[in-house]
Amino acid sequence: MDLSNFLLMRHEVLLLVIILLLIIAEVFLSQSKKSSIVHLAIFLFGIHTIIGFLSIDYGSLFGGMFHTNALIQFFKNILNLGVFILLLQSGDWLQEKIVEQYRGTEFFVLLFSSLLGMYFMISAGDFLMFYLGLELSTLPVAALAALETTKRISSEAGIKLILSAALASGTSLFGISMLYATSGSIYFNDIIEVITLSNLTILGFILFFAGLAFKISLVPFHFWTADVYEGAPISIASYLSVISKGAAIFILMILLFAVAKPLMPVWENMVYGIAILTMFIGNLFALRQQNMKRFLAFSSIAQAGFILLGLIIGNQLGTATIVYFVLIYIFSNLAAFGVVQAISLQTGKENMKDYEGLYRTNPNVSLVMMLALFSLAGIPPVAGFFGKFFLFTAAASEGYYLLVFIAVVNVTISLYYYLLVVRAMFLRKSDNAIPHFKSKIYMRLGLLITAIGILVLGIYSPLYEYIYELSKTLY
Amino acid sequence: MDILSLFIIVPLLTIAVLVFTKSLKQARVVSMIGSFIQLGMAINLVFAYLKERAINQDIMVFTRDLVWFEQFNIHYSVGVDGISVALLLLTSIVVLAGVFISWKMYDLPKEFFISLIVLSIGVYGFFITIDLFTMFVFFEIAVIPMYLLIGIWGSGPKEYSAMKLTLMLMGASAVLLVGILGIYYNSDADGGVLTFNILEIAKVNIPFEAQKLFFPLTFIGFAVISALFPFHTWSPDGHASAPTAVSMLHAGVLMKLGGYGVFRVAMYLLPEGAMDWSWVFILLSVIGVVYGAFSAIKQTDLKYINAYSSVSHLGLVLFALLMLNKTAWNGAIIQSLSHGFMTALFFALIGMIYERTHTRDIRKLGGLLKVIPFISVIYVIAGLASLGLPGFSGFVAEMNIFVGAFQNDDIFIRVATILSVSVIVITAVYILRVVGIMLMGPIRNDSYLKLERVTWFEKSGILLLLIPIVGIGVAPLWLSDMILESLQPFIQGLL
Amino acid sequence: MNIGYIILIPLIPLVVFLVLGIFNQKIKPSVSGYVGVFGLLVSAALSLYAAYQYFFVFGKTDGFYQTFSEKTVWMNFTEILHIDMGILVDPISVMMLVVVSVVSLMVHIYSRGYMKGDDGYTKFFAFLSLFTFSMYGLVLATNLFQIYIFWELVGVSSYLLIGYYYTKTTAIAAAKKAFIVTRFADFGFLIGILIIGYYTGTFDFETLNNPEGSAILNWAVTSFMGLSVITWALILIFIGGAGKSAMFPFHIWLPDAMEGPTPVSALIHAATMVVAGIFLVARLFPMFYFVENGFALNIVAYVGAFSALFAAIIAITQNDIKRVLAFSTMSQLGYMMLALGVSGYEGHDGVGYMASMFHLFTHAMFKALLFLGAGSVIHAVHSNFLKDMGGLRKYMPITNITFLIAALAISGVPPFAGFWSKDEILVAAYDQNKLIYYIGVFVAGLTAFYMFRIYFGIFWGKEKYYEHKPKESPLSMTFPLMVLAFLSITAGFIPFSEFISADKAGFEAHLNYPLAAIATLVGVMGIMLAWVFYKKESSLSDRYANALGPFYKWASDKFYFDEIYMFITKKILFKRVSEPIAKFDRNYVDGTMVGIGNKTVLTSEKIKGLQSGKVQDYAFAFIAGAVIIGLVFIYLLTS
Repeated sequence: MDLSNFLLMRHEVLLLVIILLLIIAEVFLSQSKKSSIVHLAIFLFGIHTIIGFLSIDYGSLFGGMFHTNALIQFFKNILNLGVFILLLQSGDWLQEKIVEQYRGTEFFVLLFSSLLGMYFMISAGDFLMFYLGLELSTLPVAALAALETTKRISSEAGIKLILSAALASGTSLFGISMLYATSGSIYFNDIIEVITLSNLTILGFILFFAGLAFKISLVPFHFWTADVYEGAPISIASYLSVISKGAAIFILMILLFAVAKPLMPVWENMVYGIAILTMFIGNLFALRQQNMKRFLAFSSIAQAGFILLGLIIGNQLGTATIVYFVLIYIFSNLAAFGVVQAISLQTGKENMKDYEGLYRTNPNVSLVMMLALFSLAGIPPVAGFFGKFFLFTAAASEGYYLLVFIAVVNVTISLYYYLLVVRAMFLRKSDNAIPHFKSKIYMRLGLLITAIGILVLGIYSPLYEYIYELSKTLY
Repeated sequence: MDILSLFIIVPLLTIAVLVFTKSLKQARVVSMIGSFIQLGMAINLVFAYLKERAINQDIMVFTRDLVWFEQFNIHYSVGVDGISVALLLLTSIVVLAGVFISWKMYDLPKEFFISLIVLSIGVYGFFITIDLFTMFVFFEIAVIPMYLLIGIWGSGPKEYSAMKLTLMLMGASAVLLVGILGIYYNSDADGGVLTFNILEIAKVNIPFEAQKLFFPLTFIGFAVISALFPFHTWSPDGHASAPTAVSMLHAGVLMKLGGYGVFRVAMYLLPEGAMDWSWVFILLSVIGVVYGAFSAIKQTDLKYINAYSSVSHLGLVLFALLMLNKTAWNGAIIQSLSHGFMTALFFALIGMIYERTHTRDIRKLGGLLKVIPFISVIYVIAGLASLGLPGFSGFVAEMNIFVGAFQNDDIFIRVATILSVSVIVITAVYILRVVGIMLMGPIRNDSYLKLERVTWFEKSGILLLLIPIVGIGVAPLWLSDMILESLQPFIQGLL
Repeated sequence: MNIGYIILIPLIPLVVFLVLGIFNQKIKPSVSGYVGVFGLLVSAALSLYAAYQYFFVFGKTDGFYQTFSEKTVWMNFTEILHIDMGILVDPISVMMLVVVSVVSLMVHIYSRGYMKGDDGYTKFFAFLSLFTFSMYGLVLATNLFQIYIFWELVGVSSYLLIGYYYTKTTAIAAAKKAFIVTRFADFGFLIGILIIGYYTGTFDFETLNNPEGSAILNWAVTSFMGLSVITWALILIFIGGAGKSAMFPFHIWLPDAMEGPTPVSALIHAATMVVAGIFLVARLFPMFYFVENGFALNIVAYVGAFSALFAAIIAITQNDIKRVLAFSTMSQLGYMMLALGVSGYEGHDGVGYMASMFHLFTHAMFKALLFLGAGSVIHAVHSNFLKDMGGLRKYMPITNITFLIAALAISGVPPFAGFWSKDEILVAAYDQNKLIYYIGVFVAGLTAFYMFRIYFGIFWGKEKYYEHKPKESPLSMTFPLMVLAFLSITAGFIPFSEFISADKAGFEAHLNYPLAAIATLVGVMGIMLAWVFYKKESSLSDRYANALGPFYKWASDKFYFDEIYMFITKKILFKRVSEPIAKFDRNYVDGTMVGIGNKTVLTSEKIKGLQSGKVQDYAFAFIAGAVIIGLVFIYLLTS
């Protein structure tokens, strides 16, 4: 293998380079303009994101440990896009809060390494690579969650995350070993050949599944979510709910469809059950949340439940609808978190009650929030509707009408609590409403992009067609 | 650009302009102009349609079809027949009237008019589309602005009502979604391709089992917004809390989506399912008819009275649709139109009375004929129209329904028919009760002696609605023939 | 025969109505009065010309009066069923045109005096025109649905006119009552129409009434509960008619309707609208007669007879002169009904039919006269009650004379109009059904008695104290009185049977002297009795009243029918049906819907404990979850 093969790992390599550059920059930047690290990071990552879209050839490395194809590239690009928006939205927060604590670089390095881990996870061709990716993607986030050391709650979140994460990856490692025991290989391509329905395989598979379910925060592996989201800095909560969840879903999809296909009779029933559980639990808990971060945490759990509807049918249609939904979900959720971020940055307020009368003081932010919520609730013509509708269509295509029915019931429940926020912002009048504020350019850019995404992604059908084409490559 | 898509584009442009308006004055003028153009287009469409129909015998005319989501075979495809044309006209008139009635919307005027027009986009789209998916999209677009419209500009327990209304309607549409998916996945029953296109699906004969499964879902999904008993309870609260113009649009137009959808989708695509289930829904709708009327008798809030009378009137629409014959269906459509105009007019008047007297409780009102004669006289006329007096649209509609329903030589349906005919009496009771207490009699409150006379924009709003009521009532022939003609293919689809 | 111009007869009042209605505020009262009167003058002239032309210019062809109709489709139901709008000219419709025109014209003229200075003057004339238009439309109707349409329109104009004094709560109640009671009857009417439409495939009178037509020949095809569906339809239609014509048990609205201005009572509730029911039965007479051998017709006869008696008894006991007249109207309408009921079809057998129409005609004249006279009296003494009246004859001579003429006419004293028509009715009854005949004769006596009771009460007897001296009404009011008085004398001499008969052939009617003598005798006895009782103020009447005891009380309380109705509507329908439903809707139906929502929220309350915030719990849940899922599937797959 020659150097050119490394181009297959372009995403990884580039990101690594960026990380190094940032560390170097940290060294040479004078105290006075530490904050420029933020500009630099965002700039570099922007370039990285753009380059990611350039086409390259596909293949595999290290004897199949690492492989890549169009769909995987697309996954990574989606993640990049998400992270980029996330950076924009956190730009101001970093400059104002983090940089003067000399943690600017830290933030980026940790974040990027976690992203790097996800790259590897997605591109993994065997369980070793997968596990490395898993750990690499999780551990830095724990550190990030505890970033605001001044806040007790923040470090609590960090602890909770690291503990649960350890447990999760431990479990899934245990599962992996069982699978290895039965199949005698850790390479996906070998396993798919030999894997059969035996008790050990099932147990192994389920334990391994639990590890990923943890990252996607499916019931009953979701408990950490709310506490961590609440404690962690908003950017990190947002990162967890969007990027890491998205990545986990991608990899889960790959593994279920490409590797665990023979186990389909098992996991389709399992997914069926977990989907119902997740939707109900997520929604029912979201109903009474007052803290916006907890609120979004549970809403994102419910969303994960909906995603399973696409997962259950395990074919190209499922893949396409899931990817499409995740893409839309990333935009919607980022928009929501972005607004929470913006407001909390200005006022430090994070409760639904504080949002009362927001529209009359800050119409634009409120509108973005409304778009985001409607998109999450799945109301036309915003993107979320199309995402959900197609997921349901996918599930119905295999005759899961009952599941779809349960799902739409949950959609109605979810609509209720999304409307609660709208009610606070639009319907209520409040004397001590959040005064009018004007965010900095980064935040506004970040929100603008998400808003446009929410409006366009759904109606612009070629996007879905493109994804559908890509989804072939998974089979 | 084709003549139909303009019904979407013009409102979009109106909104685009509204965004830049600064004050109530600008906002209302812009919306008025926009709605005027809509009305013009609708009227023009009627003539264009009649001309087109003469030379073009397709089920739908002015069709246009653009592929949207190829993989699901989802299209943006539009087309109209006499029924949709009539309903488009209704919509444009009610919207314009609504704008007039909201002439003094001081609180967040821009937002109000935008939401109003978004709602109208949903309705227009719903009436012109012939693709199930697109139809569903427009359906929800029409419903969701109600939340803001009631919640922000409403009165009384507005948040509660708004939430209740939105959840019940959205819940219904969720059920509907399952039904639509069911239809979609059975649309290749004859070995064709999956499609959302109504006309295509109509050609397919969907297996009986599937029809039996999905008809109730589709029917209920649509019928809830037409206040099908027992899913009607969102409507009294919703109407009571909504601002005038919104009640008008809601009762006048939005509630018509139900009947239209039932007719276009449930009845047309799942006829065997309809036959199989009809007795259940006939029962429900007849209960709705009588029950609504009876509960209207005892109400004291004008809006509640009107809401319950809507339950009764629209129950009649659903009942007629279930009669599965041309005459009754004709009646159902005309009833939709007539109820649309009438009830919009009612709500407009109630709004004016409320604005002046600050109460909707008939026990507090009295002798209004003396102090606000114009409004009161129109109220009497509207009342007479709604109790089905000849010379007004209601009579035409009801007679079609009754005669049509009577064509079914089946004892159960006969009884149901006679029960629903009995509303001509009950309706008279609650209408005359209101007229007697509120408009006639001694003046209850001296402050009423100096009530503001009716203003020009109120007058124009009222007349806009009154003219069609009388028009249809006096000369129904052209309308009913236009509709009858369009019903022909549906009847054939049935047999 | 060119009948095109007849369409103008209804249209003119319509135009007047629209003009007066729309420019209500702009027009000066004086002007609107003239507009109304003039409009009707034209209509009346046209009607009379039409009658002249129909009966004399065109006359019979081969022994029968022809039926002319012009109609156009108004709305299509099915391929065969449709509503037509048009005009149907045959003997009875022409006759009705004359009646409506004459009375309405008189009332218009009268009202210009009676309503002078009323602030709703223009409105009043607008409503009168509306009513006249509707009534014309009703009598000219070519099919069941058209007649139903105008049927409703006269109903609503009656509603508007009864409720004319809309600040008076009693007036409002009366108007409401009138509309709803008749509407209830129309419910039957409409069902009847629907049945006819479904089983005969047409609404058109000419087709339906054709004795050789399928509607009549095939009545036996389908039957329901032992009767032909067509018979059921006719019974239901008769119910409609009974409602408008205040037949028992739908009569309760008529007395209250007297709340309206007196000219209205004269026009609508004495002469024209209330006879619509009679007209309807007459209009469908061939069907009534031929279908199931006139089963429905018997019902008509007995209902008519009973109403006649029932009303006459009550009339004796009333003290409000307008109510007396109202009950007398009801009684006379009963007379007409029973006449139709006992009528045959061919030639002289059809005497009942003819008599009924004849009585309708004469009754219209003298009853209108009575009401207008009463109005003139009320105008003078500002009271409706006998106790406030007495000895008015020297103050109001014209009213006195005309009222007397009318009273004699209704009492069937020759040679006044009532005598001739009543005699024919009794002849018809005598031939067909003795029981009904005796009732008829008895009622005749009662009629004479109560009529002269109020006559003496008003114009003779002891003079009461009047705060300002009553004086004769102005010419605008007395002129109509005189015209109608003239007609009440002469109308009887019209050879009615020549023009109007069931089979449209006309026949030679001749006075049946014995019967006539008996009837007259009874009438005169009634008058004598009244003379004895009421000529002079005396306690005689009260003593007899007391002698009758409870029966008198029941009668004066109208046998408690209002109370029964009130009980059914207020206590049963409103309290026991409507209110519970309203509550049920709020509490249960809505309750369930809201309940579903609340339950959801409640559940989320309940389960919030699961999220304890302790990592160890989370870990436990995590492992437990994984293991449980594992075990489940292993179990599933191994078993």
